[in-house]
Amino acid sequence: MELFAHYISLPYLLYGIVVTLQVTGLGLLGGLMLGTVLASMQLGRSPLLAGLARAYTVIFRGTPLILQLVFVYDALPHVGIKLGAILAAGVALSANEAPFIAEILRSGVRGVDPGQVLAGQALGMTPWVLMRRVIAPQAIRVMVPALGNEAVSALKNSSLASVIAVQELTLRSTQLASSTFDFFSIFFASGVMYLALTGAISGLQLVAEALLDLDRSAARRLRAGGVTAEVPAGVSAEVPALPQARPDRGARDAALAGGAAAVEVIALHKTYGTQPVLRGLDMTVRAGEVVALLGRSGSGKSTLLRCINHLESWDSGLVRVGGRSLGYDARGRVLPARAVARERADIGVGMVFQHFNLFAHLTALENVAGPLRWVHGMPAAQAAARAHELLARVGLSHRAHALPRHLSGGQQQRVAIARALAPSPTVLLLDEPTSALDPELVEEVLDVIRRLAVEERLTMIISTHQLRFAREVADRIVFLSDGVVTEEGRAEDVLTRPRHPLTARFLRVMGAEAPAA
Amino acid sequence: MKMVNMAGGRARARGLFLRAAWLGCVAIGLCVIAQAMPARAEGFGELGSSAACKALRAKYPDLVGKTLVDAVNPHTPGYEALDPNDPSKYIGFDIDLAEAFGDCLGFKLTYKAVTFAALLTTLSSGQADIVISDIYATSERAKAADFITYSKVFDGVLVEKGNPKGITGINASMCGTTAAENTGFVEVPLVQDLAKPCEAAGKKAPMLQLYDNNADCIQAILAGRADTYINDVNTVDQAVKAYPDKLAKATAVTLPYSIGIAVPKDKPAFRDAIMAALIVVQKEGLETKLLKKWSLDAGSIEEPKLITK
Repeated sequence: MELFAHYISLPYLLYGIVVTLQVTGLGLLGGLMLGTVLASMQLGRSPLLAGLARAYTVIFRGTPLILQLVFVYDALPHVGIKLGAILAAGVALSANEAPFIAEILRSGVRGVDPGQVLAGQALGMTPWVLMRRVIAPQAIRVMVPALGNEAVSALKNSSLASVIAVQELTLRSTQLASSTFDFFSIFFASGVMYLALTGAISGLQLVAEALLDLDRSAARRLRAGGVTAEVPAGVSAEVPALPQARPDRGARDAALAGGAAAVEVIALHKTYGTQPVLRGLDMTVRAGEVVALLGRSGSGKSTLLRCINHLESWDSGLVRVGGRSLGYDARGRVLPARAVARERADIGVGMVFQHFNLFAHLTALENVAGPLRWVHGMPAAQAAARAHELLARVGLSHRAHALPRHLSGGQQQRVAIARALAPSPTVLLLDEPTSALDPELVEEVLDVIRRLAVEERLTMIISTHQLRFAREVADRIVFLSDGVVTEEGRAEDVLTRPRHPLTARFLRVMGAEAPAA
Repeated sequence: MKMVNMAGGRARARGLFLRAAWLGCVAIGLCVIAQAMPARAEGFGELGSSAACKALRAKYPDLVGKTLVDAVNPHTPGYEALDPNDPSKYIGFDIDLAEAFGDCLGFKLTYKAVTFAALLTTLSSGQADIVISDIYATSERAKAADFITYSKVFDGVLVEKGNPKGITGINASMCGTTAAENTGFVEVPLVQDLAKPCEAAGKKAPMLQLYDNNADCIQAILAGRADTYINDVNTVDQAVKAYPDKLAKATAVTLPYSIGIAVPKDKPAFRDAIMAALIVVQKEGLETKLLKKWSLDAGSIEEPKLITK
């Protein structure tokens, strides 16, 4: 015990800890930088870069660190690169850690829900903004435990640097044991030192996890802010009742007929692999018009909506929104992702998804206000005010600080609608907005959409299976079958007197399931 | 013991008298010397001011004022190991010898600790300038570096106290036993070569366990994993001294090698300078003095030879 006390406080061994930490620090820092490069190469679009990164991973993950250390230390000097021992160990450890860290980064990024990425793109986020605001914050939370593991393993691996004369803790311990023969007390002391170091890393990991814990920070916000204070006076928690008076159909039709074309789709063709999805589809939507897209699953409704704001590319044909062709420059050349994102934001096409696709790490308020700041450069106070206004409009002021996971499906979809409306789009696309909802939650979402049609005169294209809702809200129904429009006309006419046999059959089936009003 | 034609040897001090020397020296002389040790007070400074060294510095002016790196495997108390009283320093015969060269030729030294097997790769990669670390100058090793020898080799056979397996040297008595050795040591092929004679005699070949340093080999015997560890006699004596109730030296054997200083092959001037300095050190009687200081056998001194391939 006395010897143990002597060795655990021996400055010679304590300095070994400093060297161990230097090597570990260099290894982790270099590994993180190199790993980021490797991960981006593999996640990027170039097969060549991805292949190179894969080859690097195979080599450096597949050979022992001890060989890599000896290589950097003893072989590189033969080609004129002579690094000091600590630096050589740091370089070798970085090279060895990089593929492991790259895999952690890659799985973290891939683990982020693709729907959120799609939603970010639809909101006009550039790839960089998406990475920084949506993907990275969520990926980091997933990666903390794995990175903690990696740090502990790097610290222990640094002991292998003893083979290249790095005076770290292990080398110092073995040398001391050789000269004093106090084998066990020395190794016990250095074992305790390693435990203290790895324990400290575990502690840091726990602190990081706690700081990044969304539920904790949500609870903190609630305690600090309080819910009621955030609700503007006079705003009820519930959606105010819709005026019962139905709009005058005739007057509305007349007004629409004179309006400009908000969306034009001309001879659109698209194929997934060998499967044609859109086969020369034509459609025009006038400003202020509400169009319901009907059709069986697989008829091309979702694909059409995604083409309209260029979340999907197509094989041939033309899509114009507000008279502009999205995704192509004046000469018809394809624009890069960043330019498409900017265009999307400028032209103003909002999108609401079947599965809501809210940013899971952000509160309802931030889901709405964030994109206004990041994409449209709106000042924070103004963005927050606009977000509060929109949440009030969808009846969710009281849930402004809740995370998506704490909201019901209907509430989430209302937030998603508020988010899509925030930049004041000229066209709103809704892709089966109620299909993923429990039946009792459908109505609250439909109420919100009705309001947009009636009160805001917003141009909307809604793919839906809700026939009653379509009849009530849509000016026109477009029926899709196998990638073409088989029938279209005034909602009332198509729903009550279908001319095409496919439409009739569809309406019979749907009507049997949920009788139309 | 077929390796007669090997031109070099790895050297360590040890003689047939070693045991007796220990008993005498350890008991009386060592304690006195050990007290004086940390100060390195033997007056090496005088060596630097000798006419012979002055002449050498004039002949090899490039070395004067330099700081050279000496790669060592500091697990051999007596030759090179940490100073238990101040672990920031290395001490031992080889360290004093290196410092004597520095005094004579006008350079300073720093020490780089590596595994035994990495001594020569460290030298050839340029991460060290010289290796003075109780390494036997074999012709195999002379392919990687030039050696200047400074001592004959004597090995000791370390066994459990009482020598239960009755090992009497690197011979048929080792058949069926397990030997612990360090990776890269010359004893490894010597033990391996016993396989044929053992099998011819209807016995099992000796088994080998390879470790990284002396301490690990000694622990292998203490833990009952190995029956013997054959290495430089001084190392063996130190182990017996550390664990007198558990370990013993069965016997000592002469190996046909010399201990050498390894220098890069592509620096003949440096090699010549070290050779010249070693001759001066021996002439001045300093090597003998150092052997005594570290309780090594002064009878192991031999004239410097160059071993190169």
